[in-house]
Amino acid sequence: MLNTLRQRFNIPPRDELRAWFMQMIDDRVRIITAGLSIKELRAVFRGDPPTEKPNPRYKVITTSFVAHLRPRYYQQAATWFTHTFRLGWFTTFFFVVETITGVVLMVYYIPFPDQAYGSILEIESNVWFGELMRDIHRLGAEGMVLFTWLHMFRTYFTGSYKGPRSFTWLTGVVLLFITAWLSFTGYLLTWDQLGYWAITVGSSITESGPVVGPAMNILLRGAPDIGTGGLLRFYLQHVILFPLIAILVISIHYYKVSREHSISLPAWVEERDDIPADEKKKHTRRIDLIPDLLTHELFLVCVGIFAMLAILYFDLFNSPLETPANPQQTPLDTKAPWYFWWLQGMLKIEPAKILEGFINPVIGIFGAEVQLGRLLDSKFIMGLVIPPLLVGLLAAVPYIDRNPSRMAKNRPFAIAWGIAWIFILLALSYMGLPEFGIETAPATRVIQDLAPEEGLGPLREIPFDELMGAVETEAEGSFIVSREHLYGRDLCPDLAYIPESEEDSDDPQAVIGCPHLTEVFYQFNDRLIEAEEEGGFGTGLNGAGPQMEAVFIIQQWAHNLIRVQPTVEWIDEDGNLQEYHQIYFLHEEGRREH
Amino acid sequence: MKRVQLEIILGTLFVFLSALILISYATQETSRLAEYEVAQEAELIEFGASIYENNCTSCHGDFAQGIAGIAPCLRCEELFDGRIEAIGWEGELEDYIVSVVTTGRQVSTRAEYFGGGSPAMPTWSEKFGGPLRDDQVRAVSAYIMNFQAEALGEVAAVPPPPIAIDSSTPEGLGRAQFVISGCTACHAVSGVSEATIGPSLNGIATRAETRVEGLSAAEYILESIIDPNAYLVEGYGADIMLQTFGESMAEEDFNNLIAYLLTLTEE
Ligand code: HEC
Ligand code: HEC
Ligand code: HEM
Repeated sequence: MLNTLRQRFNIPPRDELRAWFMQMIDDRVRIITAGLSIKELRAVFRGDPPTEKPNPRYKVITTSFVAHLRPRYYQQAATWFTHTFRLGWFTTFFFVVETITGVVLMVYYIPFPDQAYGSILEIESNVWFGELMRDIHRLGAEGMVLFTWLHMFRTYFTGSYKGPRSFTWLTGVVLLFITAWLSFTGYLLTWDQLGYWAITVGSSITESGPVVGPAMNILLRGAPDIGTGGLLRFYLQHVILFPLIAILVISIHYYKVSREHSISLPAWVEERDDIPADEKKKHTRRIDLIPDLLTHELFLVCVGIFAMLAILYFDLFNSPLETPANPQQTPLDTKAPWYFWWLQGMLKIEPAKILEGFINPVIGIFGAEVQLGRLLDSKFIMGLVIPPLLVGLLAAVPYIDRNPSRMAKNRPFAIAWGIAWIFILLALSYMGLPEFGIETAPATRVIQDLAPEEGLGPLREIPFDELMGAVETEAEGSFIVSREHLYGRDLCPDLAYIPESEEDSDDPQAVIGCPHLTEVFYQFNDRLIEAEEEGGFGTGLNGAGPQMEAVFIIQQWAHNLIRVQPTVEWIDEDGNLQEYHQIYFLHEEGRREH
Repeated sequence: MKRVQLEIILGTLFVFLSALILISYATQETSRLAEYEVAQEAELIEFGASIYENNCTSCHGDFAQGIAGIAPCLRCEELFDGRIEAIGWEGELEDYIVSVVTTGRQVSTRAEYFGGGSPAMPTWSEKFGGPLRDDQVRAVSAYIMNFQAEALGEVAAVPPPPIAIDSSTPEGLGRAQFVISGCTACHAVSGVSEATIGPSLNGIATRAETRVEGLSAAEYILESIIDPNAYLVEGYGADIMLQTFGESMAEEDFNNLIAYLLTLTEE
């Protein structure tokens, strides 16, 4: 019956049919994999040798567009983890991550001053996985900057910028700038106080340029101050112009590596001639793209994704979001992101002062003195003259260092120079901390530290119950700073409350008194007294000794709202009463440590 | 095991772990979004409170409790219960508040709230030349709306914070009267108010004697409160100061108030 049917419809016998079918699938697979058969694929994953001749795994590299971007092989020693630490690779990985998450964020983001901040809130509060997307994008950005720097130092210390790789180094310097600029432009987009002021301060460097300074400033910001025009400019640069430029330059950079000179071998493998031949052969053996490099890179992708997710899941990283940008109100500390601290530190150096320090003692002998402040504008020199010079120096490294050897022991000067720069960058970054070299009046410092713009700060760590409890105390929420150290005396001895973390427990443990508030108050107390002892409030009228009084007032403002007003008053040298206070409102459901 | 195979196995493991993390995220996502929204609303109220503090206390009182003669209470039933019906507003109360704050009021709809004269309440929105951005207007409205629950008795009301009163002397009582009656909305007095609608009252104790021939300082002050138009300070028009203080205050209040004003000798 079956046979008759088969004959009737002219169907070939079963084996033939099967062979035909498998052949058809195999053909499709070869098209998709650009030349690998099913058998070959299986061999690849088992780590078996190629099944056909010529090696079909090499054919892929000429027939597939994606694969043709990659090298056929690296020499074994060049793939050692301790040689590259995969730093360049991870930089590329972060760039791809940024591109993907960036496109998602772009869907929701609105680049106009009156809507930008709202759209970020919307992403955080109304978009599934919106917070995660934002966090990954921000983490990836910091990762990319960090890894670019590390990658640069790696290639510097392994001497990989020499000889045929000097152009690669040059494109790398361009990439360093592009990476920095991408993060700089992105920083403004949240349109909160943090970003707005960091970018305002950063871009104000251009203003100090002679003649063209103001024009440059307008070109960059779109107006004398950053507004609609400025935000749009930064947005377009961030999402179109510089990603495109980055793709182009990364391609050039990587093309050099994959097509021209490959990854450098560790210097000693290349240069030492006392290595036994078979060992040398082992180190220079070819490691093929397929399967070894490719599996390794897929593995790194899995590691990278997992690492980022784990960091975010365990709350080790959070994207900051402060209050909306307010051009009228400069925050106490304008804080650049950490990878720009070195630049911020550099801007605190005043070359005029330093030169005066050298010259004046000498010419002082002849009774002369020079004032260079007018002549040498610090911002201009440290912001617009020195950085381009440094970039020039960096780009010129392969041409300055003409030493042909790449081995560390043959280039002590270059290595020392590299290490010195690491320390210089760290020192400058330290100087760039907002606290460094900027004197803030103690009252301002102590009071603003209670609720800093960034992060929670001590005030927000006090549970709402304790604040409410403080109002009911004998002091009615008015606590006066005193010079007697009254540690351990709870501010609200009659209070007992169940903290939120205990509410769901079967046997909730109440907190007695208000330990958190007490702690915060005594810190406030002690910092002020300390500042007074150190002379932070002057010496009072005619040097009669400092007179400072401070009070910490907590009031209930609505059923779910508390108003906290720390106030400091002191008498200055001329007998005038000085006062500083801040008002903080704390809502029951507001941002708070849980 | 070959390195390739090891990497395939470990890689699969990492994919698996990443998926677990994502699933865990997904299960928490709904509650996270809800929590975020609550926290955001709370922050909006905090933000609104500071905007209120900086812009609105001179007329509506430090505590939004209103000032007699000047501007209405913004935390009372008066606003939350029936105000929009009375004024014929069709939409939600919150939108009404946003709208009033945005545009201000050229003329008061109620004779008992004089505000700043003309306009009774200035325009607040940046769009019409005021100082506040849209999000700030929304924040301050959220702050006012937050009083609704206690105004309507759904939660216990919070008593207004006490004004520092020295009730042992007529001057001390007079100082409190000065604040309670809303004189601070128009007159500047060092340490008490910085309003500029009316003339500063610093030094009024010495100036009062010289104003009108035949009237002593105390008599002149009494006259300026009961019948402000009888003598107009140079640079200020008639009818700006409320004409009704004479009816709304007891004689004792007047005496205290005058006793207090007579202590203001310094310019
Ligand atoms: C110069 C005095 C003045 C200032 C300052 C002022 N207001 Fe008013 N406000 C008034 C007066 C007067 C009225 C009553 C108008 C009326 O009855 O028509 C009023 C009415 C209102 C109303 C409507 C209340 C109702 O019952 O209809 C709201 C809401 C309001 N103000 C909010 C604010 C906010 C918010 C601020 C600060 C940003 C503010 N006001 C600042 C004078 C002022
Ligand atoms: C709505 C604004 C407003 C309020 C509220 C107000 N005043 Fe006046 N006041 C004025 C103006 C405007 C003048 C100047 C014009 C005049 O003399 O009538 C004035 C004048 C005075 C003067 C005369 C000042 C001088 O230098 O001669 C005194 C005294 C005075 N006010 C006291 C008070 C007292 C007390 C209160 C509170 C019970 C009060 N005012 C409430 C607007 C106000
Ligand atoms: C966006 C930033 C960058 C990306 C994506 C990138 C990517 C890469 C990649 C993938 C490699 C292959 C080798 C490896 O993984 O280490 C490489 C090599 C190299 N890069 Fe970069 N790079 C970047 C920035 C830089 C910078 C800032 C410099 C130096 C100024 C630099 C200099 C080099 C050099 C000299 C090599 C050859 C290394 C060798 O042969 O050992 N790169 N780059």
